[in-house]
Amino acid sequence: MRIRNLTAAAAALALALTTAACGDAKSDTSGTSDKITGSITLQTWALTPKFTDYLNEVIAGFTAKYPGTSVKLLDQPGDGYSAKVLAQASSNTLPDVINLPPDFALPLAKQKLLVDVSKDNDLSKTYVQGGIDAYKFNGVAGVFGYPWYLNTDLDYWNVKQFKDCGLDANTPPATTQELFTQAATMKAKCPDNFLMSRKPDVSDFVRAGIKIISDDGKQFVFNTDQAAALVDQYKDAYAKGYLPPSVLNSDYQGNSKLFTQGKVAWTTGGATGLADFERDNPSLKGQVTVSKALDTPPLYVQGVSVSAKSKYPATAKAFAEWITNADNQNKFGHLVNIFPSTISSASDSYFGKDDGTPAGKARALAFGELKDAKNLIPYEVNSDMQKLLDQQIALAVKGDESGKKALDDAVAKMNQMLSRQ
Amino acid sequence: MKTQRWFTPWVLVLPALAWLLVFSVWPSINTLRLSFTDAKPLGGDVDFVGLRNYTDMLHDGDVRTALLNSVIYMAICLPLLTILPLLLAVLVEKKLPGIAFFRTAFYVPVIASAVVVGLIWTWLLDDRGLINNLARHLHLITEPVPFLTDRWLLLISAISLTVWKGLGYYMIVYLAALGNVRKDLHEAAAIDGAGAVRRFLTVTVPGVRGTMFLVSILVSVAALRVFSELYILTGGKGGPGGKDQSLVMLIQQYAGGFYGDFGYASALSVLLFVVTLIPMIVLARLNLRSER
Amino acid sequence: MKTLRYLLLILVLAITVGPFLWELSTSLKGAGEDIYTTTPSFVPHQPTLNNYAKVADAIPVWRYIGNSLVVAALTVGGNILFATTAGYAIARLRFRGRGLVLGLFLSTLVLPGEVTIVSQYVTVRDFGLADTLVGVALPGMVAALNVLLMYNAFRALPRELDEAAIVDGATVPQRLLRVSLPAVRGTLAVVAIFAFIAAWDDFLWPLIVLTSPEKYTLTVGLQYLSGTFTQDQRLIAAGTMIAFIPIAILFSALQRYFFKGVEEGGVKG
Repeated sequence: MRIRNLTAAAAALALALTTAACGDAKSDTSGTSDKITGSITLQTWALTPKFTDYLNEVIAGFTAKYPGTSVKLLDQPGDGYSAKVLAQASSNTLPDVINLPPDFALPLAKQKLLVDVSKDNDLSKTYVQGGIDAYKFNGVAGVFGYPWYLNTDLDYWNVKQFKDCGLDANTPPATTQELFTQAATMKAKCPDNFLMSRKPDVSDFVRAGIKIISDDGKQFVFNTDQAAALVDQYKDAYAKGYLPPSVLNSDYQGNSKLFTQGKVAWTTGGATGLADFERDNPSLKGQVTVSKALDTPPLYVQGVSVSAKSKYPATAKAFAEWITNADNQNKFGHLVNIFPSTISSASDSYFGKDDGTPAGKARALAFGELKDAKNLIPYEVNSDMQKLLDQQIALAVKGDESGKKALDDAVAKMNQMLSRQ
Repeated sequence: MKTQRWFTPWVLVLPALAWLLVFSVWPSINTLRLSFTDAKPLGGDVDFVGLRNYTDMLHDGDVRTALLNSVIYMAICLPLLTILPLLLAVLVEKKLPGIAFFRTAFYVPVIASAVVVGLIWTWLLDDRGLINNLARHLHLITEPVPFLTDRWLLLISAISLTVWKGLGYYMIVYLAALGNVRKDLHEAAAIDGAGAVRRFLTVTVPGVRGTMFLVSILVSVAALRVFSELYILTGGKGGPGGKDQSLVMLIQQYAGGFYGDFGYASALSVLLFVVTLIPMIVLARLNLRSER
Repeated sequence: MKTLRYLLLILVLAITVGPFLWELSTSLKGAGEDIYTTTPSFVPHQPTLNNYAKVADAIPVWRYIGNSLVVAALTVGGNILFATTAGYAIARLRFRGRGLVLGLFLSTLVLPGEVTIVSQYVTVRDFGLADTLVGVALPGMVAALNVLLMYNAFRALPRELDEAAIVDGATVPQRLLRVSLPAVRGTLAVVAIFAFIAAWDDFLWPLIVLTSPEKYTLTVGLQYLSGTFTQDQRLIAAGTMIAFIPIAILFSALQRYFFKGVEEGGVKG
């Protein structure tokens, strides 16, 4: 799940231009139909060509059930998705049903561009609570998307490097603190190897139980001594050479890249990770072991939202419910290692069963983790703020500043951003 | 002697002019207008805030750092990319067996994709990359040189990347101009016994002077607008503490995503416009003076 | 002397051609080979063309190439035509406001285009050209840079060229087509290449304008090789090579025009 802001910039001014020009456009609801009929558009994010057949099957099932409807599939490439969605939102051309991660849905919901799907509809009967909560936002009442598929992170370890450097791959670190201890062991035996492969971010503060934002949601408050101590711990680890210097510039996927290249012995990744590592670097085959995420596992949610400007809102809602129903979600989960957000899927033994293959083990582990998984990045911390925090933490980890000073600076700037929203 | 109707030049200029007005000038005027507002992505109310964005800009340390980076970038790129591609063009001008292959190959970096460029260059500059390993092997250094994590070295690395990408691009601009340099002048100079170096200085350089001026303008604009090289080498983060960001990176950050601040991004764009005008005016003056 | 030249050529070649080789070798590597090792190996041990076949299976490459060619042809045509006429008028004709027009073209060179892309989209949509290839090509059909390149080339021509034609009573269009244009073929080739590459490599703009998958250009279409749950670097490299081939062909075909300068342009040295 890549989120690139590189291209979104482009979408920028236009939006302002159009919205400035149109003022507050009243949504014109005349001519909309409450019957399940008519043709709608479905926009997914980077799922074709691999899942074209699956999506077409879902669509065929829907149109067979509701004669007189048709669904046009518009799949968008992974790169530039936020720019595309921004452009669509600004020009009133949002598709009827849109695959949106929660952090894309939030700003659209605030601008009243999405339908509150919890009206006259008890979502908690169908979907797991964590999935529903991901589409509830402070300051706007309602739920602005149907949870679709879920994922979490697992830890992957390089068995060969563990063996060569005096560690046991059967007992890899289970907590962040154990990670530091084992990194020291590895360094002592193999000065050229690295166990650790990422610098801390806001999710690490949440894991450590540090309060991120004040109760009234107006101030960031995570520049505590405890958080500073955690950053300083990474700073010491970096100085001792437990992390490679490239982590200072690495992005969200940086650690899996380093792991695939064999430069580090640890990465986090979804249940689909193993196949990727082995495909790009076949020498890793049989050399990777998988374990549960450190401390608290993260919860990643994808969902589908319905455009408030849809001509056929009833049809759009019906389709969004159709594509996220237990049956269709289970089929999807059988095709690729992701997990349904429907309550009844827990009875599908496929997900929890370890069939002995590494991929099967990863799937079973991840499925077991989902019960405890939590959203570790509060949605108030948007991508720009994450980037800013990352810059400051890099400065501290590199040793140019104390953890406290870096966090103070980051919090001050993030509060400024928050006040300008 | 009247050789044309008064409207002929306008008929010739008009299409291009109309295009620029619609797709470039008009949106930019809008940018100027927005720089005095608090416009946000996805709209909402847009209020006039006077000079607030501009005063904020003056107190923004990130903007100062980015401006300094951009100026350093330009100061180094300008001489290198005005002269090196010309030498390269002279090198491949002569018809030799296989020269077409070389000319095409030199153009490759211009069209290489960002992903590959990033991979190749980080592989070169990484702490355990090719350059550091070679230097260690030859006992030139004991500690790896932090090309990708040190504030200034990062800037230098990005400049090298820009020069590497720019060589082929400006080479073909020069190649076209070299074709227009009078062959008879070269021959005359050769008969007078001028060596290759002197012929280059007395015949080639004056012959492509207009092109050198154009290239120097293009280079300075491109250098002040640097984005992708720094983005690639810092993983989009602008280096530790964000000290290796360029103005365009900041503009992208404020204009991009769903949480941007268009008003501020527009004000930064206006600043960038003013800053790029300065070298242009200076270069145009120098060019005029040398023409007289 | 010749040896020295070749030595220099090979030195520059080593510096410039790396990414190309790396991309090529990645695209030829079989499934059993590392592509993400600490020290990349440039030679595929199990060379295969499978990746190219897979690309063609995964996405309708030919259709995307066709779409890209349509956009590129429009862009190249527009730039050649309009940049030539505008460049010629500013360089070779005297008229009131000439300096102003030149200044305007120069200044648009520095207008920050980073933030105007979506207002351009709104303009294109108002013309009724959203989701069309013409809409994709439209804004790029005239670039200030190309106008300046043509202006610069026309300005470098000797005055005698025009004067002889004026004495013969040639009109402006005749002078442009028969006298000046043949003398600036090299620059025309450069403009064609720049326009082609700008259109061919653009990703964000076509992505925003187009919504129907059957209209996608090659750059947008190739993005489908990296999906949400999978990214096969070998396929992506093969796709990049496919995108590179037309540019290489065009460049090789046009580069000889850089060297047909004044000697054929009407003035016999």
